[in-house]
Amino acid sequence: MDRNRRRSGTLSRVRAGVGLALALAASGALASDTPEALRAMAWLAPDADPAVALGRAPTECLRLPDDPARVRSIEIGRAAFRDPLLLGGQAARAGLSCESCHAGGRDNPDFRFPGLSGAPGTADVSTSLFSRVRGNAVFDPLPIPDLAGPRAALKTPPEALPAFIRGLVVEEFDGAEPPEAVLRGLADYTAALTPDACPAAQDGPVTLAGHLSDARRALAAAATAPDPQTAARMISSARSTLFLIDERYRALPTETRALRAAAARLARLQAAARASAPNLARDIDVWILDSRRLERRLAAREAQSLYAPSRLAGLSRNGGVEGKRAGP
Amino acid sequence: MGSFRVLVLAGVIAAITGGAALAAGSGGGGGLDLPSDSGPSYDPAEEYAKALAALNARDYRAAARSAQRVTQAVPQNLEAWKLLGAAHAGAENWRGARRAYERALRLAPEDLSVRGGLGLALARLQDPKAQEQLDWLRAKAAACGPGCDAAQLRSLTAELEQALAAPASPGARLDQPLILADAGDAAYLDAVGLINEGRYEAALVSLDAARAAFGPHPDVLTYQGFAHRRLGRFDTAEGFYRQALAVAPDHRGALEYYGELKVERGDRAGARRMLARLEQACAYGCAEAETLRSWIETGGDPGR
Repeated sequence: MDRNRRRSGTLSRVRAGVGLALALAASGALASDTPEALRAMAWLAPDADPAVALGRAPTECLRLPDDPARVRSIEIGRAAFRDPLLLGGQAARAGLSCESCHAGGRDNPDFRFPGLSGAPGTADVSTSLFSRVRGNAVFDPLPIPDLAGPRAALKTPPEALPAFIRGLVVEEFDGAEPPEAVLRGLADYTAALTPDACPAAQDGPVTLAGHLSDARRALAAAATAPDPQTAARMISSARSTLFLIDERYRALPTETRALRAAAARLARLQAAARASAPNLARDIDVWILDSRRLERRLAAREAQSLYAPSRLAGLSRNGGVEGKRAGP
Repeated sequence: MGSFRVLVLAGVIAAITGGAALAAGSGGGGGLDLPSDSGPSYDPAEEYAKALAALNARDYRAAARSAQRVTQAVPQNLEAWKLLGAAHAGAENWRGARRAYERALRLAPEDLSVRGGLGLALARLQDPKAQEQLDWLRAKAAACGPGCDAAQLRSLTAELEQALAAPASPGARLDQPLILADAGDAAYLDAVGLINEGRYEAALVSLDAARAAFGPHPDVLTYQGFAHRRLGRFDTAEGFYRQALAVAPDHRGALEYYGELKVERGDRAGARRMLARLEQACAYGCAEAETLRSWIETGGDPGR
């Protein structure tokens, strides 16, 4: 294996790369090991402008069919696509989800992961760094494909998608075997991404409302999920999305506390789902209802959060916003 | 120094019992704060990095100060004692070097550089026990087979022979190789790949190199524990996990893998305690908690 080609960065980047140490942010390991203000900065290409790369996202080219059952499946897939816990091994520990490489279901030209990427926008998906099965001892990163690009470029026919995606999750990223409904949902979601459905605007701002909408959609999918395991996965996705909000509000402790309280309720809902507890759908509805109040509270301070373009513009690598440490 | 020692000990005890890694300074002065709650606090990995940078810059006194703090915070860390020994030797504080290498020797009796460092310190102190270290190195060199670092043995033996022949001559000190963070990064990445390939012994070699660069870094310690565990050395693994958690009490990887070790030992209650700590550390969920939960539910590796 050409291991020398993997060399890059300091342990802080390596750490993010192998994902062991998000908890280390609390302990502050090396002087050069300051945690990134936003997790995604760990896999942001060095030349990328954080204000643009983290402040805007490609618009989603999703076509929802008329069939309600198919829509429910697509929503399950959409939520799983955004949950790092779908993947296993080092990818999940680093906080990578499908969406990290395929932003909005597209590609990600700013993605550069230490040890995994060559040029920005590429990834070596056959590396021992992430996979116990598919490591091929060759550093061979390839461009990340646009899942909403022309069908012919994706090579995998729709009927083969579930098996293909299972291979990605279980073998390429060492993930646990996903529930059948999640695999089906991922296949349906990716099949519903099509260039014909792309909005006129190529991208849009990353907002609190957008993230909370993602969380609610994941919870709505949980409420109608066909089995407890799938429901638990959907709630996991909603929790992961709340983290994306939390890290943009870290300088605002009152709002962070409210978010963590909401996340704690989701953790209890997830445990209830695993245990097939009754009234799950009702309890999810209550959470969604309460989230409106949470949204109003957070929105009132959004201009002071890292959703605000002006705040993002002051974001520096390894250390927060213009000298103000964005720690908890 | 006495109060500092108390401070560090208090911090380590707090870490072991699940509190902060090191006691945070309150600024002192009145109130109900204990003396050990005030004053400076040190992060072992950060201090190690400082010590290494100072050593590479040949600022041996600064290196010794930082290395000393690391040894006080993580007394089971071999690299810290070796670094302290090297720093004292650089400053020609041979008594200090001897003490540091003697502690290192207790942790790693077979370590060549520890034997060489101790021998040199003893030679400079004109202590006849230096000959014992030279004899040990010579015996090792004579029996050097596959996997043995013959070049290092030759170098150490020659340095020690020279020091014994002229103990007061200036410059009789072991060359201190520069240890660079980039090399540590590369070794660490190698180790992760090797672990995923199931090549645990090779991974441990890479992790040793990473540890030399980063000292008691909880990521490195956690993976050392993981590799030893996979090789069936549960007690050794536990030692590394405990070191990692002493440095970073909320370290997710260490909590997960220590919990898995407890499952493997049949200690489900202990594993659940680790899971509870993980859940506390992962407000938004994390792979480490999910994996450990699966281990506890299935009573072993759910992937096998």
